[in-house]
Amino acid sequence: MIENIRKILFVCGRELRKTVSDSGVMVFFLVVPLLYPLLYAYLYSGEVVREVPVVAVDQNRSVMSREFLRKTDATPDLHIVQYCSDMEEARNLMYHHKAYGAILVPEDFSSRLTSGLQATVGTYCDMSGLLYYKSLLSGTTMVSLDMNRDIQKEKLAGLTSEQLEVQTMPIRNEYITMFNPANGFQSFIIPAILILIIQQTMVLGVGMMAGTEYEQRKTGRLLLGGEYNNPLLVLIGKAFAYLLVYALMSVYLLMLVPYLFHMPQLAHLSTLVAFMVPLLLACVFFSIVLAFFVRDRESGFLLFVFVSVPLVFISGISWPASNIPAFWRVLSVIFPSTHGINGFCRIAGDSALLGDVVHEYTSLWILTAVYFMLALLAFINFYRSKHIPGYEFIKARRDKVVDTMTERLDKVEGKLLSVHEDLQEKRESIREDLKEIHDKVRQRKNRSDRNQSNG
Amino acid sequence: MPLTKHAVLKIAYRELRRMTSRPLYVLSMVIAPLFCYIFFTSLMKEGLPENLPAGVVDADNSSVSRNILRNLDAYQQTGFIRQYSNFAEARNAMQKGQIYGFFYIPKGLEHDASNQNQPLISIYTNGSYLIPSSLLYRDMKTMATMASAAVGRQVLLAKGAGMDQAMGFLQPIQIDMHALGNPMLNYSVYLTNTLLPAILALMVLMITCFSIHTELKDGTAREWLDMADGDILRAVSGKLLPQTALFILMAAIYLILLYGILGFPHNNGIWPMALAAVMLILASQGFAVFIASAIPSLRWSLSLCTLWGVLSIPISGFSFPVMGMPPVLRALSWLFPLRHYFLIYVDQALNGIPFMCSAWFYVALLGFMIMPLLDIWLLKRTAYKYTYLP
Repeated sequence: MIENIRKILFVCGRELRKTVSDSGVMVFFLVVPLLYPLLYAYLYSGEVVREVPVVAVDQNRSVMSREFLRKTDATPDLHIVQYCSDMEEARNLMYHHKAYGAILVPEDFSSRLTSGLQATVGTYCDMSGLLYYKSLLSGTTMVSLDMNRDIQKEKLAGLTSEQLEVQTMPIRNEYITMFNPANGFQSFIIPAILILIIQQTMVLGVGMMAGTEYEQRKTGRLLLGGEYNNPLLVLIGKAFAYLLVYALMSVYLLMLVPYLFHMPQLAHLSTLVAFMVPLLLACVFFSIVLAFFVRDRESGFLLFVFVSVPLVFISGISWPASNIPAFWRVLSVIFPSTHGINGFCRIAGDSALLGDVVHEYTSLWILTAVYFMLALLAFINFYRSKHIPGYEFIKARRDKVVDTMTERLDKVEGKLLSVHEDLQEKRESIREDLKEIHDKVRQRKNRSDRNQSNG
Repeated sequence: MPLTKHAVLKIAYRELRRMTSRPLYVLSMVIAPLFCYIFFTSLMKEGLPENLPAGVVDADNSSVSRNILRNLDAYQQTGFIRQYSNFAEARNAMQKGQIYGFFYIPKGLEHDASNQNQPLISIYTNGSYLIPSSLLYRDMKTMATMASAAVGRQVLLAKGAGMDQAMGFLQPIQIDMHALGNPMLNYSVYLTNTLLPAILALMVLMITCFSIHTELKDGTAREWLDMADGDILRAVSGKLLPQTALFILMAAIYLILLYGILGFPHNNGIWPMALAAVMLILASQGFAVFIASAIPSLRWSLSLCTLWGVLSIPISGFSFPVMGMPPVLRALSWLFPLRHYFLIYVDQALNGIPFMCSAWFYVALLGFMIMPLLDIWLLKRTAYKYTYLP
């Protein structure tokens, strides 16, 4: 048991060291999650569009038409940049991107109103952004309601304002947008982006690490020890390492970022934490499974990045889930982000409790189980595989390396010995030669000595 | 001169073989864009979401309130109405994501209305889901106003006023909205027209950068440059030639899909858009070569290209207008090829204004295309010196 825990911790520690020492992985695990939300929040910090430039064509030129346009200009939604003499001029200004809308007050505007008939104001909107349409509609509608009340008041002179209200508006209505009171763009899109960042950076980072290992294996630079002999423990160790990193990142992403940017943060802490557990687990095993398809460090970019865009849409946060074609809805179920986005949006935005997101919550646990099994199968298969060296293979190769080294050493030793013998022999022979020469020299010397004494 | 052409073609042929040698290229250059084309056009084929699930709390349960509900059911965007017995139940259904909004009709509506007590109908929508929320609001608001007008009109008609006069009294000024180019407020027109080229441009940025830097990583850069006699311009153009051809084919597919099959607005014909699409691809390639030359590391230049491609989606301003962004980002948006493409699309396809009005955007795309001339000599230097550090 203790041995197993030691192995898990060893794998986990090695994985964490690899993370820290690899700047490419650090980009995904740290830099992107830290900076990307800030960038996005900054991008949408305006929340809504104000003072959309429009042009006005006043064909009526009466007190009333001027009042209508003046009040329009005063709304926060619209800003009249120019008054034009005809629609031709207005169109020209819109062509040159000076205005995104035109307001046409027709010639019979005041005459119809004074004779108690309905008058129509035409508005023309550039449809390059839906928010222009929204501003133009709400701006002019506000002004028309305001003026309508004045006109009605004049007609029913003598009534108190309360009586007037009753006459003109027998049933009132009010509008409440729950959970995103400003109807802002930021509050709507950022929660989805945050969850997607968790899943996608994890997939990319884990993929890059797997790619690196694959490359190292291919070139024989990766040697793993006995800690890597049990696939289950290796899987747990790796998952634990990623989980640690992302537990920290989630605190930043899901609590600090919404706080920093004043987004709706109605989440109950315990609900959020409880929800994060299966979300992170599902993401971890999902990443590990996907990482098996990565063959080198950089291919993850090409395979996984673009998926983020469809994933936002498939989650149902933008295009309503009730209107997503059945095929895509079924496909969306396999991505942790789908359930994560829907659950988190309602927990953080709508103050939902765990019981309200029970569908997403259980789905995430199911995904966790499925991806865990898949990852485990992949690991087991991987370690048995002949093509890619696993533990056994590495051990065999190690032994082989040792064998060949010993063999070589033996050979060298043998050679050295023979050289040694050779040298010895040579030394003997040289010594003998020297002796001979020495003897000869002495003989000669003796002979010459004798010759001298004789002579 | 014929020798030069020969070298470029030879490199192009070599690149073609590199592209077919790994499934990665086919996956990211053909399968990924095709998948997104099919995905986005089929996802939003309705144009405007219809039959959104909505709820109602009818605390009054009178003939007036039932009349309101019957009318609401007839609206296109509002779907089946679920009845809830009280506010808490409806709110809970909203938290569970079963409905996007609900109507609250207070007790005594009919009674109060006829006694001139001005009862109050409340409309609640879930702002966390922006699109369904605003669509439901539009229907419910109209419905509530009409219910009120119906009561008011009845009173006035009873007093002997004509229909014209009644409307002239109840709503003296009426607003007539014209949505130019997209009268049905079709979301698919609004989103896919930019999303599809955005995905394609992202792939162009990544593949261009990746294919150049893998030469360095695999240590084949010298061989590649030698084929062009060390002329880096010839080497790069030969390498990008088959990619350009394939990407233009992919662009043609989305152009035919959007403007041919789906018949999205293309008021100046298809050619201004075809030109813009080809220029978007070349501009993205130019930008990627610029980055790949400036940053001599596969990882960092690919990261930057990816960031640029992904960021161009929000910053081009087709979902949230650039006008509403902080000034720094407004200025920065000009550095994204997709931003110029989007503006061309608005002018030429959606609004159909004279070609010359968008001339500057085409010029800007041309500018991205010649960007590599600034720093491509750096790439040559790197290619001869580089060693890959994992």
